[in-house]
Amino acid sequence: MTGRLTGLGALVRLGLRRNRWSYLAWVLGLGVVAPATATAYETIIDPANADVLIATMTANPTMRAMLGPPFDLSTPGGFTVWRVGTFIVTMAGLMALLGVIRSTRAEEEEGRIELVRSGVVGRDAPLLAGSLVALAACGALGLLLTVSMTAVGTPMVGSLAFGLGTALVGSVFVGVGAVTAQLSATARGARALALWVLAAAYVLRALADGAAEDSAIRTWAWLSPVQWMAFVQPYAGERWAVLLLPAVLTVALLALAVALEGRRDHGSGLRATRAGRERGGPGLGSPLGLAWRLHRGSLLGWTVGMVLFGLAMGSLSTSFGDMLSEAPVLEDIFRRMGGGTEQLTDAFFVAILGIVAVLMGVLAVLVFQRLATEERRGHAELVLATSATRRGLLGSHALLAAVVPVVLLTLVGALLAAAYARSTGDWSQLGRVAGAALALAPGGLLVLGLAVLLHGWVPRFAWLVWVVVGWSLFMIWVGATLGLPEWLTRLTPWAPLPQLPVDAMSWPPVLGLLAAAAVLGAVGSVGYTRRDIT
Amino acid sequence: MVDTVKRFGATTALDGLTMEVAQGEIHGFLGPNGAGKSTAIRVLLGLLRPDSGSARLLGGDPWSDAPRLHSRLAYVPGDVALWPGLTGGEVIDLLGRLRGGLDERRRGELLDRFDLDPTKKGSTYSKGNRQKVALVAALASDVELLLLDEPTSGLDPLMEAEFRAVIATERDRGRTALLSSHILSEVEHVCDRVSIIRDGRVVESGTLAQLRHLTRTQVSAELAAPVPDQLRALPGLHDVVIEENRIQCQVDDPALSDLLARLSAVGVVSLTSHPPTLEELFLRHYGPGDATSDPSPR
Repeated sequence: MTGRLTGLGALVRLGLRRNRWSYLAWVLGLGVVAPATATAYETIIDPANADVLIATMTANPTMRAMLGPPFDLSTPGGFTVWRVGTFIVTMAGLMALLGVIRSTRAEEEEGRIELVRSGVVGRDAPLLAGSLVALAACGALGLLLTVSMTAVGTPMVGSLAFGLGTALVGSVFVGVGAVTAQLSATARGARALALWVLAAAYVLRALADGAAEDSAIRTWAWLSPVQWMAFVQPYAGERWAVLLLPAVLTVALLALAVALEGRRDHGSGLRATRAGRERGGPGLGSPLGLAWRLHRGSLLGWTVGMVLFGLAMGSLSTSFGDMLSEAPVLEDIFRRMGGGTEQLTDAFFVAILGIVAVLMGVLAVLVFQRLATEERRGHAELVLATSATRRGLLGSHALLAAVVPVVLLTLVGALLAAAYARSTGDWSQLGRVAGAALALAPGGLLVLGLAVLLHGWVPRFAWLVWVVVGWSLFMIWVGATLGLPEWLTRLTPWAPLPQLPVDAMSWPPVLGLLAAAAVLGAVGSVGYTRRDIT
Repeated sequence: MVDTVKRFGATTALDGLTMEVAQGEIHGFLGPNGAGKSTAIRVLLGLLRPDSGSARLLGGDPWSDAPRLHSRLAYVPGDVALWPGLTGGEVIDLLGRLRGGLDERRRGELLDRFDLDPTKKGSTYSKGNRQKVALVAALASDVELLLLDEPTSGLDPLMEAEFRAVIATERDRGRTALLSSHILSEVEHVCDRVSIIRDGRVVESGTLAQLRHLTRTQVSAELAAPVPDQLRALPGLHDVVIEENRIQCQVDDPALSDLLARLSAVGVVSLTSHPPTLEELFLRHYGPGDATSDPSPR
């Protein structure tokens, strides 16, 4: 033996042991989406007018850009690959790159690989062990897809193509993660680089798929690994040769990662760490300035995401009526989610805003709970040892958590209406739907108030707020489709609010929730000035 | 702090701690890990509220007057946690501004002295460099009191010497400091007074000279003839080791002249004696079992 791989077996076992739960959650979570979609095929597509429905859906550039190229939607298998395939592949890529960076660069940064390397371990063993474990997770996902799709009655050959395609495209991002882990000296930096690659691949194929039929841009999709699974055409005349693309690229990337690792010192990256600013900017001198600095990166990401989402959903809304008139079941579901209106476009806006409002509640809690992270990591201690007050520290995070989601929610409302307004020439729609979005904001603020209350008095129970948010999300997403009793689906902070533009504006619930949120927040902030900061 | 008690669940971190730091002194706060040093400092910072007892800081209540008092003090935690995305320079400016401003000239001077690159991101600093960031931020602020929790635990010997020199100038400028440590030489060189803490209470407090009063002198001698065996029975001698012409022992101060007289009677070839180092003081308080069984010669 050359010895460069000594200890590989032991390291693979260690990696499996340390990461089994996280990989298991990823694989199971992604693995159930496909068979669930395939079983729902009959309810989504009415066989009587399937052709028309399919033609409408595939002709819509927004749907293509979001979901991928449709090949054969007339069977449950083909429809599933189109509807959720690109999503599963992208998420598999995410699982792969996060996993491989976690067990290579993150471990190295924490100093654990140093410990491992001091033992009898070959030079390439730690990197390859981390990669093998991530590859195994991709393989497990592919196997689960093949087996479960066959089990729900889709052809086995197509299921195998679907599983293999997903596993191999996931593997490409094992390679991507392994390479970026060599380039950057920090796990953070490696993750950011690899995520950019994944996002670029997704956006590239979205552009290509959204382009006109005869456009040259269509062919760009071949440059995006995320697209390769779809190009294998599972259930639609499988093209097995396409599988060579991800297989070859994976091997090449892993070989590159090994070569790169051989050229760098332990603990360093190939990309020099950029020097930052020598002095603090003028904004960095108060708890609020610090909170803004800590949040601005992720808030920028959320803003970009929500703007794209708002624009995409908005452009979908104009063709929505045509599409749904072909699918009575879906139409009925949307009417129920949309407050029971006859006006389908309004129902669509209400349904989307309902989901976005809860999502913004999630964002509010995420932003606020950064304060708990600050305390746990010992950053809050540094700040509170200065003249900064506890109220000021709590308030700065709570302020961002209150303002940004409300602004984004209103913005999404306006963007949702943009395409509709352009097609009808009625620009007052923008304000109308933005106002409807704003009327839902008190729900998120109430959740934020609860988060502040819990953090101020009983930080151990901060997770309770996630129960409320999770329940609300579940109810708004699937509550209407499950046919649950109404009192149960209305048991959320958002339910009492008027669903404009379908309902008429009603001030008492809006003002009531706002007042309740303010009281919870104020009581929570008193608690925060009275408890130990540990 | 008078009779301060702080419990976390079943564990008692401070068990009736009483200590005083006078204005203008550098006070050493010695104890092993887990003795309650950090807890005491965090009570003084108003981060923790004591279960009973009272604490006063710069004439105010550390809990209720925290923000006002904090503009007059600076704190360096034992394990400095920097924000990964902020550079050292940004953190220094942030903490300085939050405290009410910092001395630009001193900021530059301290960066030079500690040889710290302020353009690196928090996540790329080593432990020692994170410590330096917090030290520069604290020392460049114009404050009366410095609370330093094991401030040199990650510094290399050169930087530790630099730190001692800086602390000495701080004392000359009339600043007060409470400096916790389990590194004895650090305290020995810079502190005016020392409090030793064990299991949440102060077991010994005073100037170094006062604490040495309580201890013995280590003596080793080589004599011209075999050491008379009856020396073993001499009152005030401990841990006596006799090998032919050599003797090693610890001596209570009152017994010192008697011992020397007896040794000279035999004829002394060589003699060394030294006062106990803080290591020896420390071992007396924390050593396994009681002090007499722990000679720790040096």
